[in-house]
Amino acid sequence: MIPTDIFNFDTLVVGGGIAGLQTALDLGDQGYKVAVVEKDASIGGKMIRLSKVFPTLDCASCITTPKMSAVAHHENITLFTYCELNSLDYDGSGEFQGMKALITQKPRYVDPVKCIGCRQCEYVCPVHIPDMEQGGLSATKAISIPFSNAIPQLPIMDIENCMLCGQCEKACPTNAIDYLQKPEEFLIASKTAVVTTGFDLLPVKDNTQYGNGKIPNVIDSLQMERLLAPHGPYNRVLRPSDGMEPDSIAYVQCAGSRDKSMGVSYCSRVCCMYAIKQAMLLSGSLPLADITIYYMDIRAFGKGYEQFYQNAKAMGIEFIKAKVARIDRGENGSAQVRYELQDGSGTATANHDLVVLSMGMVPGWNPEQPVCPVSKDTDQFITSIKPKISPVLTDMDGLFVAGAAAGPKDIVDTITESGSAAMEAAKFMSKSLMEN
Amino acid sequence: MINKDKEAKKTAMKELRGLRKSLIASASSTMKIQKKDIAAIKAFLKGGAATIPEIAAGIDMPTDKALWYMATLKKYGQIVEVQKEGAFFKYTLSEQEKNYEKAEA
Repeated sequence: MIPTDIFNFDTLVVGGGIAGLQTALDLGDQGYKVAVVEKDASIGGKMIRLSKVFPTLDCASCITTPKMSAVAHHENITLFTYCELNSLDYDGSGEFQGMKALITQKPRYVDPVKCIGCRQCEYVCPVHIPDMEQGGLSATKAISIPFSNAIPQLPIMDIENCMLCGQCEKACPTNAIDYLQKPEEFLIASKTAVVTTGFDLLPVKDNTQYGNGKIPNVIDSLQMERLLAPHGPYNRVLRPSDGMEPDSIAYVQCAGSRDKSMGVSYCSRVCCMYAIKQAMLLSGSLPLADITIYYMDIRAFGKGYEQFYQNAKAMGIEFIKAKVARIDRGENGSAQVRYELQDGSGTATANHDLVVLSMGMVPGWNPEQPVCPVSKDTDQFITSIKPKISPVLTDMDGLFVAGAAAGPKDIVDTITESGSAAMEAAKFMSKSLMEN
Repeated sequence: MINKDKEAKKTAMKELRGLRKSLIASASSTMKIQKKDIAAIKAFLKGGAATIPEIAAGIDMPTDKALWYMATLKKYGQIVEVQKEGAFFKYTLSEQEKNYEKAEA
């Protein structure tokens, strides 16, 4: 069935993380009409879930929230959150020539027009579910707003865990609960599209030598971001197995990255710097704790990054040049790290209260046909056809890529690339206009 | 007209309940366990502030699960963190929760 709802825009931005937000703002400010389609219930992507950013240690939320708000209130930008992109392709048939995207609006089971974001539904819901916004370390309710500064401030009902008890419906002051809501398909037609689908971390459960995620107190770096965030699950750094304040914390670098056996042979580029950042934040919040970083190389390539690394060393963070071979359960909830020193002096074992795995970055979206015919590289990220002179160009006319969708990169490079993608999209649209 | 709408919704909800029968059963059983666990934690805390290992040992619950509940109850304002004892923090019922318990009693 062909959807009857068709929306026309100049540019479709796929993904509402920092790359998508910056691209949308750069185009919207030039007067182009932009649609941002986001799979999650809120825009903001990974960046809004971080505690602070390197090397300035600025609060991530303080930078991202104004951008989220600017996009949400921009007269030229329309947000479509909690949506699934079913297909995205160039359509040259008929009068319209450009990108066509088939999208499904997933049901929230809440009327977005009536809802005022008061959270009464969340407070009365009796079912607790793991809060994945907090790395699963605490719980939320079966109907909840994803996080405090989410945009839009609309709850989502998890029907897998809903008893249909009716408490949320009774508590809602605006009758916004709609148990009977259904998915709705619609089309977006645009002259250009920019893919900003970001990255995911390789799941810890895939890493056998580090315990497949079954060893208590071995967490990934995004979970540590939540522990360090002021609105984190415990509002402080505690060990997830028993609530103990850790005395000894270790970082295992290249956990999955630069490892062919994990399918990630490339360097994820940001792990060295975020591990150093987290270590510095930890030494601030737990001044007496021993913090160790096991690394193969430190790649501090950006502006101010080397100084940041030197500062961390001066603060007393221990850097051990070693490859961690395996992690096992230790005594009293600790994790036992076995490592091989890179200077050839042999192997050693150490126990830590908390271990953070710097997992490799993998693409956040698989554009495999029939979804979108854009090419993927051998690393599975989207191919940049001119990686040196214009890294935002793809092998599809009118389709551009920015941020970690094209490969691992930091926030600074992502923002720069988003501006470049916006410029290329604008150039493409003015060229088409002049030709016609 | 309003009655007709009400009737249609009632029928649709009945159908939905039928379709989601197994999910509803599973969610209900989860909720019952959670309700019991939370009641046990709150009852234990009526005796005074306690650390996660103390709560876990007192109500025979794994420490990670006790912490998961405590983090959640803290988020929803039902408990508060008080002083630190060794490497652990102590938690107690919030004033709001104490007042609620009093009113319930």
